Amino acid sequence: MPMLQLDNVFASYIPGVEILRGVSLRVEQGEIVCLVGPNGAGKSTVLRAVSGFLKPSKGSITFNGKSIGGMPPQKILTEGITHVPQGHSVFPKMTIHENLLMGAFTVMDQKVIEQRLEKVYSLFSWLKIRSKEKAGNLSGGQQKIVEIGRALMLEPPLMILDEPSLGLAPKTMSELFENIRELNRNGLTILMVEQNAREGLASAHRGYVLELGKDKFEGTAKELLDSPEMAKLYLGGSTDEDSYRRRRGRWA
Amino acid sequence: MSLPSAHLFIQTLILGILVGGVYALMASGLTLIFGVMKVINVAHGAFLILGAYLTYLLFQWFKLDPIISIAITMPLFFLFGWLLQKYVFSRIESPEQTSVLVTFALALILEGLLGAIFQTTARSVTPSYSTATIILATYRIPVTRLAGFVTALVVLLILYYVLERTRLGRAVRATIQDPRAAQLVGVKISMVSAFTFALGVSTAAAGGSLLSMIYTFNPASQGDWVAKTLAIIVLGGMGSLPGALIASLILGVMEQLTAIIVTLYWSPIVFYVFLFLTLIVRPQGLMGEVIREKG
Ligand SMILES: Nc1ncnc2c1ncn2[C@@H]1O[C@H](COP(=O)(O)OP(=O)(O)OP(=O)(O)O)[C@@H](O)[C@H]1O
Ligand SMILES: [Mg+2]
Repeated sequence: MPMLQLDNVFASYIPGVEILRGVSLRVEQGEIVCLVGPNGAGKSTVLRAVSGFLKPSKGSITFNGKSIGGMPPQKILTEGITHVPQGHSVFPKMTIHENLLMGAFTVMDQKVIEQRLEKVYSLFSWLKIRSKEKAGNLSGGQQKIVEIGRALMLEPPLMILDEPSLGLAPKTMSELFENIRELNRNGLTILMVEQNAREGLASAHRGYVLELGKDKFEGTAKELLDSPEMAKLYLGGSTDEDSYRRRRGRWA
Repeated sequence: MSLPSAHLFIQTLILGILVGGVYALMASGLTLIFGVMKVINVAHGAFLILGAYLTYLLFQWFKLDPIISIAITMPLFFLFGWLLQKYVFSRIESPEQTSVLVTFALALILEGLLGAIFQTTARSVTPSYSTATIILATYRIPVTRLAGFVTALVVLLILYYVLERTRLGRAVRATIQDPRAAQLVGVKISMVSAFTFALGVSTAAAGGSLLSMIYTFNPASQGDWVAKTLAIIVLGGMGSLPGALIASLILGVMEQLTAIIVTLYWSPIVFYVFLFLTLIVRPQGLMGEVIREKG
């Protein structure tokens, strides 16, 4: 049984204007699955449907066999799916430490919170050293790590990442992907969206290409990277102007 | 117009700061509610006056000291605020647009009810120390003002502690900073809103108790007080607690100084001119943030 399964999912923001038009995909335990596709294809929308910020209008979403489609976000969170959205979502005027504590907002056991805090600090040691700094003063890549650390405070079985590399310098980007692979080796299952298809797929086990609200291709990361059709259509990377536009503002 | 002596100047400064501290308590709830809910609670002045009348009754019936009565009025108002938000205000769609009208209506209803019960007679709570003054290094300090200032400080410190050190307080701050990210980590905005509104209304109870022994009031005074507290939070920056504190001290000192240099009647005028000038230079207020559109 896959950990996460979407079956023919439809969803819309405005009634009648369907953004997702029958998306089917699955994520197996232990995998990194990368979702790629052009701007506006509905990649973020798929993730929002999974984490409950948008109710699917049709189709089913199951997590470890349990139907979660249409559950409120808080409920899905406690089921074990955390969502790190596109753009920045740290609490800018809180310290790194407080941001991490917020990640465990739904956890009541103080001991458990302490343990997880130590775990996150041991994964990213600079977080501990700079724990008293305001998150808003960190660079984009560092904020992303804070967001991921915050999501780890729930020890989720599944993390969904929406364009984690957006707006990062190439060096920071490769460090981030290394961190993501490391988390995956430690047992975290990841569903990730990447505009930067080549880098994203290179870190993933499998991938899907989403186009106009439907999954168009599916394959192992290698298959997708090697396919000539994909290369022509999607692996060119985004233009500079494009990524400049998308870097502005916080998450959508 | 006459320039005061150095002694009178310092005396006035002290009084201004004492008054400013009480203003800060009165305005804190208003700015907090705006910070979380982006709602301008025009009924805040009416809550202050309601708190003052409650203190007045407790004093008339049980000879309860106005400062002690805060221990009763605050929890009562907390509950009142919670219920009001949870069962009434939360049903209103797009509160950002309609809240002014709805809370204005509530203010008028409260004013009307209080008018029916207490008429328009100006009241004030007069504990035994109400006319006492203490002399500190040749400066005369009215006891009610000093007690009011200290009490306001204590309540503000408790508020600060709740916001900075507790789990719920952290959720309130998180919601102010990024409501969507707060939801992402499992914060229920509806619950935080009810908590914030309750907290805001409970500070109005404490502010009202202090008001009742420092000033005279009648039901119509709510209009003056909402104008004053709104002016404070606009000057300080809507939603900023430190901003409200600074603006309150500025207002307190300015009022007192204007009163001795020109006349009492000029106090509000001077402050509002100062407010306008500040807003021309800093439209977001002293500590406010420029509101960014999120993509
Ligand atoms: N809150 C919203 N309300 C209405 N329409 C929306 C909303 N969010 C997204 N859309 C629309 O849904 C479509 C898909 O958006 P989505 O954000 O899922 O795309 P995406 O594949 O993540 O694109 P990007 O690469 O730009 O992040 C777009 O046409 C967008 O305009
Ligand atoms: Mg997107």
